[in-house]
Amino acid sequence: MTATTARADVDGASGALAFASEEDALRARFYGLIANLLAAPPDAAMLAELAHLEGDESDLGRPLGTLAAAARETVPQAVAGEFHDLFIGVGRGELLPYASYYLTGFLNEKPLARLRGAMRALGIERGPSVKEPEDHIAAIFDMMAGLISGRFGQPAELATQKAFFTAHLADWGPYFFRDLEKASAARFYAPLGALGGTFIAIEQAAFGMVE
Amino acid sequence: MTGRMEQEDAMSERNTRPHENRDGDAVTDRRGFLRLAGLGTLAGGAAVVTGGETVAGEPLEEGRAGGYRLTAHVRQAYDTARF
Repeated sequence: MTATTARADVDGASGALAFASEEDALRARFYGLIANLLAAPPDAAMLAELAHLEGDESDLGRPLGTLAAAARETVPQAVAGEFHDLFIGVGRGELLPYASYYLTGFLNEKPLARLRGAMRALGIERGPSVKEPEDHIAAIFDMMAGLISGRFGQPAELATQKAFFTAHLADWGPYFFRDLEKASAARFYAPLGALGGTFIAIEQAAFGMVE
Repeated sequence: MTGRMEQEDAMSERNTRPHENRDGDAVTDRRGFLRLAGLGTLAGGAAVVTGGETVAGEPLEEGRAGGYRLTAHVRQAYDTARF
């Protein structure tokens, strides 16, 4: 069923990537989805694609279905306005989606330095188009996706993924997604908050099952 | 996925002491747990939204999420070693 299709899709699109498992390919997709929606508001093509996603009664399926329904009921302009109110604002947005802010109350503090150290060790750098500090939630999700998929050379060992997740996401990600789910400006983004929080909890539990 | 498989996955998920398993069992438990959590809901499509995580080794220069990529000197090292 679905799993086999996913493998075919992934391999077909790249012709080269060898995920360690079916589940890893799908984990990379979830990280990528959440990263993309938090990096910039979705355009019409992305909203249309989201609208076609079908949830189910699983833990991830429920918020994904709600997100798909929200995508069907909105337009790019409205989501862009919401994104602005949430993350950009006048002076600042309602939320500051940075590890450093969540862990210390200030931007560009020690958590950012720790992340940059980990990036150096893993050989990851910002693309030239990126302006935000590296500890932005979308950047960390993008890096997790890249570690799983092998964008940074080759797929990272599960232990490496777990160490990165534990050091840079686990301690503050749940609080950020809780805030996103409850943010006053959040409409389309509220179910993304639920999805992100659920996904982090599942990743945490799954990492807990291996050394 | 059959009901029987789901039942077995649920049983392994309730194993609260995975460290007592051999490594292989823990990995199997983890995969079963992830499947039950609903990862498959993203299996069919959504490639535009998930952001081209399918591009092997290609830096997403203008990737929406920032295009985090391999550093130049590490990439050069990989190239030299013909990874």
